Amino acid sequence: MAKTATEYFDNLRESRIWRSIFRSGSGSSTLHRSLAIQQNIFLHLFSTKVRRRMLNLSATWYLGTLTFGTFLILVVTGILLMLYYHPSVPQAYADTKDLQFVVSSGLFLRNLHRWSAHAMVFLVFAHMFKVFYRGAYRPPREFNWVIGVILLLVTLLLSYTGYLLPWDQLAFWAITVGSNIASAVPLLGNKIHFMLLGGNLVNANALLRFYVLHCMILPLAAMFLIGIHFWRIRKDGGLYAHQSEPATVRAKAMAKQAQ
Amino acid sequence: MQSSGNKFVGLWQKLFGDPIRAFGVVSVLFLISLAIAPAKNRFSEWGHYQKGYVRLIRGRGEAVTLQRHFQSGIQQIWLPDLGVVDRCTTCHVGQKEASLIDVSTQPFRRHPVIPHTSEQMGCVICHRGQGPATTVEEAHRSTLAWEQPILPARYIESSCGQCHRAPLTGTPQLNEGHRLLTRYGCVHCHTVKQPDGNSLKATDDPPSLSHIADKTTRQWVFAWLKDPQAYAASATMPNFKLSDNDARDISAFLIANSTPIPDDTASNSSPAQKAAPDPTAGASLYGESFCASCHAVQNAAGNVVGGDVGPELTRIGTKAKPEWLQAWIRNPRIYDPGTEMPHYRFTDQQAAVLTGFLQAKADPDLLANVHLDAATPEQIAHGKTLVTEFGCASCHEISGIKKPENFAPELTRIGSKPSKQPRAFGAGLKMPQYSFNPAQIDALTTQLLSFTDRAQSVPNSLAVAATPASNYQPAGKAGQLMNDLACFSCHAINGRGGNMAPDLTWEGSSVQRKWLEDFLRNPNTLRPALIRRMPKFNLTNEEISTLSDYIMTVYQTPAFERDSMPESGYSSAQVEQGRQLFYSKYACQSCHIVDPKADKGYIGPTLTQVGARLNAAWIYHWMKNPQALRPGTGEPNRNMSDDDARGLTAFMMSQKGSGKQEAKK
Repeated sequence: MAKTATEYFDNLRESRIWRSIFRSGSGSSTLHRSLAIQQNIFLHLFSTKVRRRMLNLSATWYLGTLTFGTFLILVVTGILLMLYYHPSVPQAYADTKDLQFVVSSGLFLRNLHRWSAHAMVFLVFAHMFKVFYRGAYRPPREFNWVIGVILLLVTLLLSYTGYLLPWDQLAFWAITVGSNIASAVPLLGNKIHFMLLGGNLVNANALLRFYVLHCMILPLAAMFLIGIHFWRIRKDGGLYAHQSEPATVRAKAMAKQAQ
Repeated sequence: MQSSGNKFVGLWQKLFGDPIRAFGVVSVLFLISLAIAPAKNRFSEWGHYQKGYVRLIRGRGEAVTLQRHFQSGIQQIWLPDLGVVDRCTTCHVGQKEASLIDVSTQPFRRHPVIPHTSEQMGCVICHRGQGPATTVEEAHRSTLAWEQPILPARYIESSCGQCHRAPLTGTPQLNEGHRLLTRYGCVHCHTVKQPDGNSLKATDDPPSLSHIADKTTRQWVFAWLKDPQAYAASATMPNFKLSDNDARDISAFLIANSTPIPDDTASNSSPAQKAAPDPTAGASLYGESFCASCHAVQNAAGNVVGGDVGPELTRIGTKAKPEWLQAWIRNPRIYDPGTEMPHYRFTDQQAAVLTGFLQAKADPDLLANVHLDAATPEQIAHGKTLVTEFGCASCHEISGIKKPENFAPELTRIGSKPSKQPRAFGAGLKMPQYSFNPAQIDALTTQLLSFTDRAQSVPNSLAVAATPASNYQPAGKAGQLMNDLACFSCHAINGRGGNMAPDLTWEGSSVQRKWLEDFLRNPNTLRPALIRRMPKFNLTNEEISTLSDYIMTVYQTPAFERDSMPESGYSSAQVEQGRQLFYSKYACQSCHIVDPKADKGYIGPTLTQVGARLNAAWIYHWMKNPQALRPGTGEPNRNMSDDDARGLTAFMMSQKGSGKQEAKK
């Protein structure tokens, strides 16, 4: 049965349409398999070869992948939420109420977006701790660590700008406090505060600015940096698995491979 | 413990041991969690209620009509001008169905008939709650993201007050609340700004305390400060719960601070005790002068009987010094130029008799336990501090102390204060203790709940303004006389004055001069059912002629010419036609009396002498449209033809008072 399925799949891979889309063609030689990865726009970011034991949960706890997963959920739900939301003072709060009360699955959508955002912040931190304690930031991966730190900042800013959009009391005062913290920067503080809010108070301009930041600028920045981040994993020699692995884990992995 | 741990590990291995299987398990879990959202949509609360409604109407006779009116799905009323998005009708489906009168289960109950439609106003403007919500909890109760719950039904009239600032016939509780708020002086200390920018004005008249030593003793002031209601059950002044020492010091300050007014005590006249030839003379003078129209007295049963324009007099003898009381009765305007008390023209003898009568209304128990030593300067100084602290000058004029501004919290938007934060009243608060009953408290609450954010922002197209207060003042000598007699305490003219007695704005067009003079000389009652009537002021002929001249000349309506119809000379045929109309076509005798033997109507004025009292033209135009001449009168508009009105006028003018003697018997 399984064999038949494989045969069908091989036939499919030989077809003209498949060949027109996937340039690597059929065949299961090492070369074919690495070409299949390299010549695909989505997959070429990844390493052409992965150590089998690096796919175990214990190796990375999948923290980076999970972070990326929450990011994808956030993009999808965020786009759907944008269909119902007006970044204007009289509408914003009413729109969140509408999402809660009348939009089909609107509350689910909003809650999914919200909890994914919380999860993403948590996962980014967990990912960084894991990387840090395993020593995976060491050369040649130090640049990727820096990218990661910037991504952390982008994540936090996304979370912060999204906080204002429901335009309720919680949002209003959180942004008031947050932007006042920014004004504590020496010399430039007040300028930054003014630029951030588009005025001296949290009002229509601030709402619009935070909306643009949250839905345009920061997501694009995040995608750009995530691209670099993934690409650098490959260029820096794949997922880091070396001295820092506890001896027992390594021994276990070796034993498994030997089987 | 160990075994359960092992069991768990085993389960974990079974589900997630193999990567492919783990992927499958995670996918299934993910699908289930995704299915929750559409399931929650499918089994929504409002859907449940709509199904219930469909079941409810299915068995009814008018099911087809109801079914046609019913629309499934979320319903909403959207009024952009008012910022209203109300989805209440999603569950309250049958609120407009008149035929559902027997349904008592919510949310299907029919809404009672009100002057507004839900399409015009929405729901939350009156009921509060969260209009856009589609769940029971969120729509009705105070939740994390919505503080305003549904307004309890017993305060619902407060919502009318958000737009209607003048009293409405359908909102007795709100009207009473408004009356209490102004009558009990709340607005002396608490500002209530109306959306038109004016502040609410108090209607009580707290006395000046600058000359209080002329009027009463320190002992009485002390007892009054301790408990005003012990002196007079109907006292306006609330109980400040003062300690003995504080009351002692405040009374010391008020007496020491008081300055005498010359002529305000009657030292030259005969003492009250001497002038009492007839023990009942005082009581009859009190009755004849209609003191009870304004002043109340507590009877043996404990009921306060009488008007509440002036202070209660149950224990006046314990309070007022006799010499002051006599001077006050002779002319109250010397002590208080702005008082609502008329200046009766009593003789010295009468004033003494009345003083004696009132002095006898004493309660020796009240001051029995009050023993005050002479005031020390420290006590007086402390008293002054207390008077400032308690804001006495907000209500009372006290020489040397300025009226404080914004003494107590403003109440302009009190009705929008979050209901989730009940205030715990502490012992140190300055707010005094009023003696309101529960109904009055509900009325006041209703009034206060109408002072909302929305009330401040209703569009002008919806706001119904209160009639602005008039500061009309008649001119010249007559004007002075009218002030002296305090006509405005009972009568209204051009929008100013009380409502105890008829509006006199068009009095000059209405009555005949001869009748007016006689009436001012010796007033009698026009309405058989009335207890209160105009007191006799003992006016001189000159005063009567001044007043009559002014009233006849100035208080004329522009609607018609006063002398356009003759006062007499109607043919007997016309009179007879009028009589027919009076008794048969219009059945006026149901409310009015023309023949005192036969007629029983006592709702309207007696008409036995109407031909000597009213002008013909006034009667004619009154017949045509009474509301045009006096808005709000009980007389119905019968849409009479000119002929009918003329006939009735002839009949009325023929009633010159021949039946007067019979009526008296």
